[in-house]
Amino acid sequence: MSSAFLAGLRFEARMMRRDGAVWFALIVLAGVALFALTMGSSRVASQQAAIAGARADETQRLSRLQKTLAQLQEADAQGKPAPEPPPFRDPRNPIFMGGGPAAAVAALAPAPLALVATGQSDLLPPAVRVTTGSKDSFLFADEIDNPANLMSGATDLAFVVVFVYPLVVLAMAFNLLAGEREQGTLAMSLASARQPAAALAGKLAARVAAPIAAMLLAVAVGVWIFAGWERVASAGFAALLVVVLLYGLFWAALATAVDGLGRGSAFNALTLIGAWVAITMILPAAINSLAAFAHPAPSRIDMVLAARAASTDADKARDASLARYAQEHGEAGRPAGGPQEMTLRRLATQEAAFQRVEAIVAEHDAQLARQRDMADRLGYLSPAYLTYQALANIAGSGETRYRAFLDRIRAFHVDWREFFLSRAKAGASLTAQDYAALPRFPQADDELTARAPAGLARPLLGVALPALILAVFAWRGFRRSGI
Amino acid sequence: MSDLALAPFASAAPAKGRWRVVRVVAAKEWLELSRDRRLVWLCGFVVVLMLAALAFGYVENARILRERETAAKADRELWTGQSAKNPHAAAHFGQYAFKPLSPLALADPGVDAYVGSAVWLEAHKQNETQFKQARDGGVGARLGSLSLAFILQTIAPLIVILMGFSSFSGERECGTLKQLLSVGARPRDILAGKAMALIGAIFALLAPAVIGAALALFFFVDRERLSLADQFVRLGALGAAYAAYLAGFAFLALGVSALAKNSRAALVTLLAFWLANSFVAPRLATDAARAFAPTPTWQEFRAGIVQDKSKTFGHDDSHPGFVAFRDETLKKYGVPRIEDLPVNFRGLALRKDDEAGYAIFDRHFGALQSTFDRQDALRVAPGFLFPLLALRPISMAFAGVDSRSQFDFATSAEAHRRDIQNEVSDNIIHFAHDNTYVAGPELWRKIGSFAYRAPGAGFALDYSALPIAALFGWLALAVIFAAFAARRLRPV
Repeated sequence: MSSAFLAGLRFEARMMRRDGAVWFALIVLAGVALFALTMGSSRVASQQAAIAGARADETQRLSRLQKTLAQLQEADAQGKPAPEPPPFRDPRNPIFMGGGPAAAVAALAPAPLALVATGQSDLLPPAVRVTTGSKDSFLFADEIDNPANLMSGATDLAFVVVFVYPLVVLAMAFNLLAGEREQGTLAMSLASARQPAAALAGKLAARVAAPIAAMLLAVAVGVWIFAGWERVASAGFAALLVVVLLYGLFWAALATAVDGLGRGSAFNALTLIGAWVAITMILPAAINSLAAFAHPAPSRIDMVLAARAASTDADKARDASLARYAQEHGEAGRPAGGPQEMTLRRLATQEAAFQRVEAIVAEHDAQLARQRDMADRLGYLSPAYLTYQALANIAGSGETRYRAFLDRIRAFHVDWREFFLSRAKAGASLTAQDYAALPRFPQADDELTARAPAGLARPLLGVALPALILAVFAWRGFRRSGI
Repeated sequence: MSDLALAPFASAAPAKGRWRVVRVVAAKEWLELSRDRRLVWLCGFVVVLMLAALAFGYVENARILRERETAAKADRELWTGQSAKNPHAAAHFGQYAFKPLSPLALADPGVDAYVGSAVWLEAHKQNETQFKQARDGGVGARLGSLSLAFILQTIAPLIVILMGFSSFSGERECGTLKQLLSVGARPRDILAGKAMALIGAIFALLAPAVIGAALALFFFVDRERLSLADQFVRLGALGAAYAAYLAGFAFLALGVSALAKNSRAALVTLLAFWLANSFVAPRLATDAARAFAPTPTWQEFRAGIVQDKSKTFGHDDSHPGFVAFRDETLKKYGVPRIEDLPVNFRGLALRKDDEAGYAIFDRHFGALQSTFDRQDALRVAPGFLFPLLALRPISMAFAGVDSRSQFDFATSAEAHRRDIQNEVSDNIIHFAHDNTYVAGPELWRKIGSFAYRAPGAGFALDYSALPIAALFGWLALAVIFAAFAARRLRPV
């Protein structure tokens, strides 16, 4: 590193140390980042409490069922059978128990760095009660929240990084050349340095490094305080630092490129504010609107209607088969109604609905994937969009991790249905052994360990590449300015 | 401003002269604004953006409307197509209520994406609305989508700031302010003139949006279902609210410009405020609202209902409540056995249990909505300082896409669910002679489908008193601040 570069850096750092406004901006930035991490930490605690609540409820439900089952069996053993409970309350009835009272909790524990970004975690429930029913009956249950709260969004680190942090970087770097030119000190600065370009690069480095370092430091301290040292020592945290660093460099490169055009401070300020509005607000909104316009999200109502149609069709089919049976065997041979008939009807309905809903869910997922693919491709237009996605992925609150969770639910749902429906079809009752052997939703290892989040290469490249191009423009601009 | 144009001010009659100052200053400001090519291009871009947002809104809303109408028809067919069964089994099958789209959602989608579009009306249970559109949008969708409201709430104030930040400071830097004051123009009149020009520019910016929205409404509104006049009243209220919001920014920009050391300081101050208002305040206010009026988790909410419902008998014949009701009924009819009753006891028990459930649901869902209302009120409270917090609820309320409108829909859907339950139980009471009783399609057809009539603009007004007060408080504060700044106006 040349001495001119270091001299420029030292000089600018000295100037900045004496500027109260610089300290104010840096302290506000770090303070806001720490506040956002505090909010993130309390959000994670709420999610963990919701999961604990769902699990406690599951334990309670199962123990109640097992107790009732034991009472029924004891009464049978004593030769004093208890009055027959209705099938939907009978712990021996596999079709009704698997369809609700014994439902298994499938939970997605917050990822190690969940405090970084809310992402979709406030919209997608952290715990789902899996039943033998079709997916429409359990997968779309929502956590309760005021819709206006959801719309406003939460204060999280992702918000601070994407919206606030660039403004501080821009404020520091927008007028290095223009400011010196307007104050009449540019010529003197250049004349006094043996390598003017290196000296200016040093000054620029000081201005850019301050907000980036403040942000990185605040992130490190915040994660250490609110998530613990082991999170700081994780690959996910390293990825977080890289995202913050690259995004800061992108804005610094943009500010320098605009400054390199050789116009005044006012021009630079207005142009950069315009760029900030376009990149953080207008482009992401336009990307979302265009993707939704080109590939509209399918109506989830179709899925419900298919399940309901399956139910009425199954009813009709069963009525027809009962009518045929009665015709062949006479009214006397008609199978008895009551609990057994209710159970068989429910079994038939669930079977029919399951197939139809699976097909519709797959179709919907494909359409949504097309919409997301388009949004992802258009996302390259906005580094803010890419950074937001990257932060959500690091926090495990993006769609990548949730989709993996849904895949695990899909596999578990198959096992769960098999467990209950095989017994129902065989006409077997659930026993205490069955309750002890109920399938459990597997906890994924990556929820508990700090594994590097996947899918970051694309957004990182999408931010780094324009930053590099802008840096080249900035360099050429500075050269044009006679340096 | 030339001395020639201002020369007669001192000699004119005071009131007339002041009005002339106002008009001349306004005309000069307007001319300068219209000559600033950057501003004209920026305004043009924003207008195009607004019209594009309206077009997106129109297409999207038309699609959603079609979807929901088709779904409502399909659900009706499923309901009436049920085979013969016990009416209570049909009540368990239930109906779906689909939320009709408010036409002005094309301008402000509000909370629609976050509330779900359909609610299942089934026996024994009041359900929440399902299928939030926002769930399907992916994480990038949380950065928002283009809507007229988004542009007017966040981008339009920025335009107003850019128009006004150098109004006084720029004149001071050029030396024309000193000239203007030296010929007898009062600071208050200069302020009025500049404000007039800025407000004129705001109207010019709002006009295409309002005209575009009016045209969209004209073609979009189904006049058999909704009153076009009511929609125009709503649009008028929205226009007034946005005008007040932006006018406040105009006065703020003028006040800051009058007090600031120079134009750069004025711009930095105004941009910091804009950032705080558009991005920071809504989030912080939401965090505070959540902290001071916490929402119960789904688990807690449903556990509360289940606990209260356990005091009712449901289908449990051994429940003490059931036994007491049976004895009471036998006594009332003066018969010793259920079989001797002239009506079906199972139907009576269902009705009794449903009625007990209604009170429980009203209490719990009412308490939940009260929590939401408290949160909304907490969010609005700082609205006189950060006007977006006041404007947003007004905009959503008059567009018919706020949480109160949602609650009204949910309440109406629940009323329909109760009608279904009552009809079904009555049928069992009067026609079922034993447990094998089944009813046929004539009963399913007799029970109507859900038809929701959204309340008029008066409903939005009733629930918007606090945000309206906050918004006008903001405007009044901004005017007072600008007047105060004008009194302290420094010529150099």
